Amino acid sequence: MDFELSDDQQQLAQSLDRVLREHCSFEKRRAIAATEAGWSEALWGHLAELGVTALGIPEAQCGLGGGAVDRLPVLQAFGAVQLLEPYLASCVLGATAVQAAGSPAQQEALLPAVAEGRARLAWAHEEAATRHAPLWVQTRARREGKGWRLTGTKSLVLGAAAATHWVVSARIEGEADSQQGLALFLVQPDASDALLRSYRLVDDTLAGELILDDVQAEALGDATDSACAAAAIRAVQAAGTAAACADMVGAMESAFALTTAYVNTRKQFGRAIGEYQAVRHRSADMAVALEMARSMAIAAASAADDPDAPGAALELARAKLVVGRHARALCEAAIQSHGGIGMTEEYAVGHCLRRVHVQDHLFGDVDAQAARLARLARPISVD
Amino acid sequence: MNIRPTPEQAAFREEVRAFIREWLPQEIRERLHRGHAPRKQDTVAWQRILHERGWAAPHWPKEYGGAGLGIAERLILLEELQRGCAPVPLAFNVTMLGTVLLRYGTQAQKEFFLPRLAGLDLWFCQGFSEPGAGSDLASLRTRAVRDGDHYVVDGQKIWTTMAHEADWIFALVRTEQAARKQDGISFLLIDMKSPGVTVRPIVSIDGQHHLNEVFFDGVRVPVANLVGEEGRGWDCAKYLLASERTGIASIGLCWERLAYAQELAASLQQGAGTLAQDAKLGAEMAVLGAEIRALEVTNWRFLLDTEIARRNPGFASVLKLKGSELQQSLSSLIARLAGPAGLERRDAEGAEAQHPLAASAARYFFYRATSIYGGSSEVQRDILAKTLLG
Repeated sequence: MDFELSDDQQQLAQSLDRVLREHCSFEKRRAIAATEAGWSEALWGHLAELGVTALGIPEAQCGLGGGAVDRLPVLQAFGAVQLLEPYLASCVLGATAVQAAGSPAQQEALLPAVAEGRARLAWAHEEAATRHAPLWVQTRARREGKGWRLTGTKSLVLGAAAATHWVVSARIEGEADSQQGLALFLVQPDASDALLRSYRLVDDTLAGELILDDVQAEALGDATDSACAAAAIRAVQAAGTAAACADMVGAMESAFALTTAYVNTRKQFGRAIGEYQAVRHRSADMAVALEMARSMAIAAASAADDPDAPGAALELARAKLVVGRHARALCEAAIQSHGGIGMTEEYAVGHCLRRVHVQDHLFGDVDAQAARLARLARPISVD
Repeated sequence: MNIRPTPEQAAFREEVRAFIREWLPQEIRERLHRGHAPRKQDTVAWQRILHERGWAAPHWPKEYGGAGLGIAERLILLEELQRGCAPVPLAFNVTMLGTVLLRYGTQAQKEFFLPRLAGLDLWFCQGFSEPGAGSDLASLRTRAVRDGDHYVVDGQKIWTTMAHEADWIFALVRTEQAARKQDGISFLLIDMKSPGVTVRPIVSIDGQHHLNEVFFDGVRVPVANLVGEEGRGWDCAKYLLASERTGIASIGLCWERLAYAQELAASLQQGAGTLAQDAKLGAEMAVLGAEIRALEVTNWRFLLDTEIARRNPGFASVLKLKGSELQQSLSSLIARLAGPAGLERRDAEGAEAQHPLAASAARYFFYRATSIYGGSSEVQRDILAKTLLG
């Protein structure tokens, strides 16, 4: 066991920190959020230049190799600034799906472009009725000649409008919740008549609803291999869960740093409010929450790198539960410690709670994870 | 970064498990699994078995009868003992006094006491708290006045666990009135059979007798039993309190209690089914399992990685706060699972103690103490806030 970042990771984290401070300060991020696109191609270019878009993509496909553990500090940094660019959508979710299910030719065509930031993927899996059931898919696929046609509606497609390719789950046959008949497809936004209703989430993240009405699609890998598609969906869920944990820890770190600085400067009744025991004790509880979350973000990344290992599902569910729970508690406490200023849109701390609220709901919120764990029904450590 | 144990660590864990399976008397295992505290004879019998194996004093050097284990192995040993329902080596002897003697003891003290501490030939109790000195320990007033080659001790200690069964007590006493209350305190070893020592029981809210008051009335203690320098006992006390960190989170205990709660839920009927089918209880146990895992990883992060510990000077407080919270949540859950059947007052000894729910309520009541002893949660939050906010 060891818990330190490698030298490479530390160097990358430092470079990333410089880029984010310059191009994704609180004010600059707000300006990006206010644009019509809702994300910045310029900032995306800087991230690609640094190589973070290549993390987790095999070296054979122009990537830097590695996996969730290598992305952990990067995603934490993104959570800390509440990055709006579609990193999670493309480099984590989309890239994981293509690696898990794509044919060699598809991987060769897509992954280098994703690694270099030229292509951006979006993961279109969630549906209105899904509510955290991982394999719930009602979108139908039918064969037409060599290709496929998809019909259905995909909700909460992160980074949909920024994507060059949508990775869409659909079923050829079977009940909504079954593995049988599941398959993954690629849909080209510009070359299809899919309807995209693009919107922003409550934390300003770009997302959209995809309305597919007999839309042309290409199978990702072998469409008849439903076991492979289900495994790919699980791998995406695992990578996404670990990413959301890391992102929330980043948001927690920001909220916590803002709070400790604020309570030591804000004076009331002639004293810094950080001298009052009620405020001090709340800060102590926030520190405990942050440490628990940091630990489980590491555990989640480690589990996501080996998602089929025994105990990985248990570890991921526990991690998402712990991080979600403590992230929400910490951000709420941070706002409370700030008082009125914490309630304002133009102050950063509230944005941390918005981010956490969104990330908690991705891949199953705290309640969904508790229910999942209760079903696994063996909450015993797995070393 | 790698969260997985090394093959050596995994093998050591397996070795400890196998040892416990083979050697732990069934009666002790069952007693602790039902939630009872180990009796004196349980701890003595098991610690002697551990001592035979060389594991009674995990962190001591081998020359003094310790196991000379590194931090990871110590943690594994402790986790597995707790998880396997084995009494842990007596903390007063091994983690507290033993640690202090290794650092501050004279050669004669080490040679006389250390083997007896490890083999439990002497049972020590801890004389720190006083009626006017709880969390504010340095306010203690028990006096020791030098008289030739003896100290004469007068005063009172309170909340002294197992004093009624102890052979000796290590006590903080005031040898000088200094400007700073931490100065002028000395660390003395006192034979409980000395004339002038009186023990009075305190029955706690679990209805049992673990705690005591200890009175000193002109007790003569040889100067040879002073540990460290006169007036520098606070150094020993701080060093002792810091040594409690390895076990502070009680991870193994938390896992064991959660397993017991699940067993209970599966065996206790509710209507036509069992409590294991109750969705709300299932979610509660899921949250506890997740939180224990988070504390487990945190414990490993802090204890294995000196750099992380250095950046988090309040880490022991994080472990104490969270560990005591989880132990209380688990004891409360078990008492609630027991339900009305756990309400009957049952003796902790003899046939009644065999009832599966005999200890459920008593343990719930007694575990309220976890956030009070060893630095209350309020004190831990103060310490932590000091490191965060100055």
